[in-house]
Amino acid sequence: MSTEMKMVIDGAEVSFKEGETVLEVARRQGSFVPTLCYDERLDPYGSCRLCVVEVEGRRLPASSCTLKAEAGMDIRTGSDHIRKMQSTLVEMVLSENPGDECPRCRDIGTCEVHELAEEFEVSRDRFLGAISNASKDDSNPFLLRDYDRCISCYRCVRICDEVEADHAITMTGRGWNKGIATAFDGGLMDSDCTLCGQCIYTCPTGALADKKMVNQGSKPGEIEITRSVCPYCGTGCSINLHSLDGKMIGVTPVLDGPVNEGALCVKGQFGFDFVNSEDRLTRPLIRKNGELTPVSWNEAFDYTAQKLLSVRDDHGPKAFYAIASGRAPGEGSYMLQKFTRAVMNSNQVDNCSRG
Amino acid sequence: MKSSVEVKDPVTEKILDQWMEKPAPFLSVLHAIQDHFGYLPESGLRLVGQRFGIPVSELYGTVTFYHFFSLEPKALPDIRICENSACCLHDLDAICEEIVDKDLGIPHSGKVEKISCPGRCDVPVPILIGETFLHGAQSGAIEKATPATMPLPPEIGLEECLFKDIRNGVSSLEKAVEAGSWQSPKRAADDPEGFISELKSSGLTGRGGAGFPTGVKWEAVRSEVADQKWIVCNADESEVGCFKDRVLMAHTPHALLEGMTCAGLITGAEVGIVYLRWEYPEILESLQTAIDEATAAGYLGVDACGTGKPFQIVIRRGAGAYICGEETSLLNSLEGKHPFPREKPPFPTTHGLFQQPTVVNNVETFCAVPPIIDRGGDWFSQLGLGDQQGTRIFSVSGDIQRPGNYEVPVGTPLRQLLMEFAGGTFEGREIQGVTMAGVSGGLVGAEDLDVRLDPASLNDLGAMLGAGGIVVHDDTRCMIQAARESMHFLAEESCGKCFPCRIGTTRMTEILDELNSGKPVREGLLQEIEDLEEVLAETSACGLGLAAPYITRMLKKYWPQEIQDKIDGSGQALKEGSE
Repeated sequence: MSTEMKMVIDGAEVSFKEGETVLEVARRQGSFVPTLCYDERLDPYGSCRLCVVEVEGRRLPASSCTLKAEAGMDIRTGSDHIRKMQSTLVEMVLSENPGDECPRCRDIGTCEVHELAEEFEVSRDRFLGAISNASKDDSNPFLLRDYDRCISCYRCVRICDEVEADHAITMTGRGWNKGIATAFDGGLMDSDCTLCGQCIYTCPTGALADKKMVNQGSKPGEIEITRSVCPYCGTGCSINLHSLDGKMIGVTPVLDGPVNEGALCVKGQFGFDFVNSEDRLTRPLIRKNGELTPVSWNEAFDYTAQKLLSVRDDHGPKAFYAIASGRAPGEGSYMLQKFTRAVMNSNQVDNCSRG
Repeated sequence: MKSSVEVKDPVTEKILDQWMEKPAPFLSVLHAIQDHFGYLPESGLRLVGQRFGIPVSELYGTVTFYHFFSLEPKALPDIRICENSACCLHDLDAICEEIVDKDLGIPHSGKVEKISCPGRCDVPVPILIGETFLHGAQSGAIEKATPATMPLPPEIGLEECLFKDIRNGVSSLEKAVEAGSWQSPKRAADDPEGFISELKSSGLTGRGGAGFPTGVKWEAVRSEVADQKWIVCNADESEVGCFKDRVLMAHTPHALLEGMTCAGLITGAEVGIVYLRWEYPEILESLQTAIDEATAAGYLGVDACGTGKPFQIVIRRGAGAYICGEETSLLNSLEGKHPFPREKPPFPTTHGLFQQPTVVNNVETFCAVPPIIDRGGDWFSQLGLGDQQGTRIFSVSGDIQRPGNYEVPVGTPLRQLLMEFAGGTFEGREIQGVTMAGVSGGLVGAEDLDVRLDPASLNDLGAMLGAGGIVVHDDTRCMIQAARESMHFLAEESCGKCFPCRIGTTRMTEILDELNSGKPVREGLLQEIEDLEEVLAETSACGLGLAAPYITRMLKKYWPQEIQDKIDGSGQALKEGSE
């Protein structure tokens, strides 16, 4: 059982539970503590050092994401000195990346790096020098890997290891010559990557993005975002549907989705081409004289009912077997089994997710 | 290739079978595979990953961290030449040209690669082909490297401790025992409390640079309750300008083994590991011989020194990474993890190798233990000058008459070390400044050569004593260039994890290059230096980044005019503190 203890953050006494970090406690009580390498789903990493805070009795500031809260601690998060160093750090990070427009910010939504640049009112004009890393020409259909914009926070590597347990990518090299690669530096398609896209949405920059969502000529303000539930399986992952001029252009995960907490699989993340596909069926068809012919819904219902009844009457209830789609909602599945039992008189009903 | 694919590689299988039951076998396995194939083939790494339970992607990333692991087959080795502080005072380009054209008797690829300091600053310039060191002399002559002689100290009545017998050929067990070696472990077993109190009263602190009291560290590990404990000797002496540990291991290996054995018997650890930097191949051989001799004589083994307690020592070879001299990086390296420094606390005394209580000490620290026990903590303590305790070894190189290692009382004036011990700089020249702690302790200018060599006195100047490497620069040298070389080394060796260090050391190097370029410098350059210093010194995750600002701060302190001249000469007036 955890006991409640007290510490001081920015002059206010706050309670915390054993095991909490100073960052968690500080943010909960409303202090602004910037981060770039932090993702609440991942183990604290302490690499960006933006979350440094002053700790009474310590000579040097400490990174609050890795600092465990202790009773009696006296923490200051926002002194002028801390803010100045954070501002310098943001400028240093900006200097690592190219100065052109960030496609992530333009097409999907402001990335964390540029959010912080706005917060600290700094731009990319000091500490200029070499640009970090190099982009990888990766033939996979979904993930853009533009490592010119990488800031080496390794959130992509860590989410792939800690959350997905796929271990598809790793950090390579060291110092300025570091990078992100798959084992033996091949393409993602040849690696253990499942193309789940988790790396994209933990990435705080434009280094990783959904290939299909960038360069569509959109601006964030024009994109409509609709929260929904992924229709692919019965798990019910929360998603945001991005649409432009009434047309769906992509999906982003919802971090506070109660089931998925930001996780999606390759289908839920990238598998929405069908929505706008020309091959998609938009009205019922009945094969007449060997040709699929468009018909009205009423004609289609009548035709289907007649055929199902003839199956039951000519061949008996055991000739009928219903399999509900995992993509169907609970109500739909319920109706299918009710229909199978009450109308078709059969107990042969199953669900595709069971297989 | 997906990791589910089955791999066959009987050579690697056999290597794994040979090593897996031994202590911390990770690095040895990789070296054995590389020794066999000439590189680390994909099939081998996949098997290593499976046996160690390391995802192959992570293993691949870890291997790319090190300088001396190769993922591609090479028909012939490249020529590797040191580019750091003492060596870059020589005409490296001329030496490189000379090597490529000359028949050196060792086949090579003809490709020259500059490497970080391999710890041979007393005989510059070291050239490495495969595992053979050559020596490129100032004259341009290339010859097979011979070990440097141990320069004698001046006869001024100072007592040496670690170096007392070092010139008497005590590297063999027989001679070492004759000189009194291997007595202290019995004492460690019989009277551990008394042993620790001698260590405490001696004032011995960690000689790797951090300066933590050795007795306190050993006592802390002793008091831990754990299934397994470890003794680790940090012999990854990778700081530019430091070569004292190499000399200690070459000339008095039994002092090291004896010191480690004492640590084992005191703390209850049964295995000691010497983490030896890759660049010391000759030590790998000689130290292993010493271990074998000591084991055969019963000083090591199941009944170490007749105490009834087991203690064995193994060598694990690094693979070229300065940051692995940082103790938590070193532990990660031994475990097969990505060798980034760990967040502290917890410290290795409670969560060390494989999360077990671990003593990590520098070579010099372990070597100091036997003479302290032999002659008493108070004796060692009073060797220091004034309030200072004990002696320290300094590696002196660069523009100096008698480069080498000198053991002097803590608190000895820097000037005395440079003039009386190392013979001063060359005739007709003056000392302009020296690098400290190797290079990461900053610079000290000629006006402060009277500073005493103890941690506090160097701190007062704004510099750091560190691991005791000193590279002398005479009055013909450009100190901005010297600072640039030091910063370049740190940038090359930064692990790249924490942002301030990775970006800061690179930006600092670029800025110093810009100052040296002779071209107009950017506006606000001095303010950029100051802001980088602040962030590096206060937010870096480990000592590498925290120390980097010593270099530029000391440069500005002692050579402000040189910086201003560069800025003025660039044709662009610059107001300090603009922006």
